[in-house]
Amino acid sequence: MTEITISAHRRTLLKAGIGLGGAALLSAVPRRVRAATPDKINIAFFTETSPSAIAKGEGWLEDVTKAKINWIEVGSGAEINTAIAAGSVDIGVGIGSAPTAAGLSQSIGYQVIYIRDNIGPAEELTVRTAANIKKPSDLIGKKVGVPFGSTSHFRLLGFLKTNGLTQKQVTVLDLRSDALVAAWQRGDIDAAYVWAPAKSKILAAGGEVFRTYDKLEKAGYVIADLIVARTAFAEAYPDTVVAILKAENRALDVWTSTPDKAADIIGKQAGVTADVAKADLLEYDFVAPKRQLEANWLGTPGHVGRFAEVLQGTAKFLAEQKSIRTVPDLSVFQKGINTVPLTKSIA
Amino acid sequence: MPRRLPLRACTALSAAVLIAAWLVLTWGGYVRDLFLPPPGELWDGFMDLLTDGYRNRTLLEHLEASLWRIFAGFVTGAVAGTLLGLAMGYWRAVEAIFTPYIEFLRPLPQLAYLLLLIIWFGIGETSKIILLFLAALPVSAVAARDGVRNVPLQRIHAARSLGASEWQIFRHVILPSALPEIFTGARIAVGVVYGTLIAAEIIAGSSGLGWMILDAGRFLRSDYVFVGIILIGLMGLALNWALVALETRVVHWAGR
Repeated sequence: MTEITISAHRRTLLKAGIGLGGAALLSAVPRRVRAATPDKINIAFFTETSPSAIAKGEGWLEDVTKAKINWIEVGSGAEINTAIAAGSVDIGVGIGSAPTAAGLSQSIGYQVIYIRDNIGPAEELTVRTAANIKKPSDLIGKKVGVPFGSTSHFRLLGFLKTNGLTQKQVTVLDLRSDALVAAWQRGDIDAAYVWAPAKSKILAAGGEVFRTYDKLEKAGYVIADLIVARTAFAEAYPDTVVAILKAENRALDVWTSTPDKAADIIGKQAGVTADVAKADLLEYDFVAPKRQLEANWLGTPGHVGRFAEVLQGTAKFLAEQKSIRTVPDLSVFQKGINTVPLTKSIA
Repeated sequence: MPRRLPLRACTALSAAVLIAAWLVLTWGGYVRDLFLPPPGELWDGFMDLLTDGYRNRTLLEHLEASLWRIFAGFVTGAVAGTLLGLAMGYWRAVEAIFTPYIEFLRPLPQLAYLLLLIIWFGIGETSKIILLFLAALPVSAVAARDGVRNVPLQRIHAARSLGASEWQIFRHVILPSALPEIFTGARIAVGVVYGTLIAAEIIAGSSGLGWMILDAGRFLRSDYVFVGIILIGLMGLALNWALVALETRVVHWAGR
């Protein structure tokens, strides 16, 4: 988080601060007549096992955009929200649906341009085998670690709620993924809700999966990883955004057609072996671009898909939790989805 | 020469200008509430926190949790640091042994060794208080050491020629002479401990004002963030006043 606060340099903050409404998120790029390409693109990313890591690792984005890419590593989607609000990030890769729902509700000026993956079982509750946790009520009196504000946090709270458990009965602790692994290894917590690579490390150190995702998805707790673009950036450089999505599509192709080669490249980026990377990747449901354009997901330009409802449902839950103040109309979430670049990227 | 404005008026004027700027910027619609919440929203946020608390804990519980950590970390760190500093000032050998660690620890950012503390001491209160202890210790130690070292030699010589024992010299000459610096060190230590509070509460948070600010910030709940900052700031002022009051009572002779 420190990194971002520093990179949000004063001029941009001031601009953002004194601007009016939507204009608060004025682009920080130099003014140019019909500027077609930016000189520099600030991209926020996670260290995680996903095809996006191929596009990053192989330097494809530099090639297709002809711009200098400033890669900013983040630990949570909330950091991406803050950085985009301050105008210091243009593209957020892999931001979860929970922070995105929060961001759109607070009218941070960005749009969803891509659904990278349906998280499904890739983020899941893991419990200590020795603690003998077999049914939800076995969690009473236990400590569960989770990075607050994440999709995993959203799922865990949904799990507690749908099973009639309160946070007085189950202690939910805020731990970032590295601290989560440390706390697990010391035996300070008996359960965790998190993603790979932390999840794999926990499973390897005396943990087992407690399956929650299928029931939660049916109950409406769908979570996904997305790509968002700062609205002012997407409007100024539509071609650049299309080029970035093309690189993402190509990376997904590498994973689908040559999984072993992909796992090798991705593993190096995420700091895990190719085997671990492959096992992690297999848990995600990466949504092919054509499928994203279906009515179940993002839909097409002019016909926004049902994912807008998922985002609003997530926002309603966050408002119940008092994480955000109010839930806007469905139309706000529909306007927050822009499928034009995606459509162009596969044309 | 115009007459000098009374100092209190200057303070009042500065506060009035700040508040006026806040009102103009927020009510005038120049700044979105995301960046700076208007007074009404801030008040609502405060009342919300007072009645419903934050994440299953009341505001008072968060305040208590933070105060307890600050108190425990500061007291243990300041006492241990002062004792160590006195010894370092008095015996050159002790100083030679501990100086490298103290000087190394003093400028070290606490976040650097946060994960190590979690691995060594777990995610409970222990690691949080140790972090604050480590923040207070070197500051107090350096202040006490310098306090001892700056005692005028004539005083010690005078006491010795009057037949005072080493213990009497320490108890009646060195310690009182070093006290003003020890107190200054304590006040700086409170500041450092205070600044470290948020780092300490990052460790498996679920309570404390520092954690509340951090967690609310994640969702850009700037109303809660501002309420938290104001409370934490006022608490810091109160602590500093308490120490100043104690200082004027105990070392009332200082500076005379």
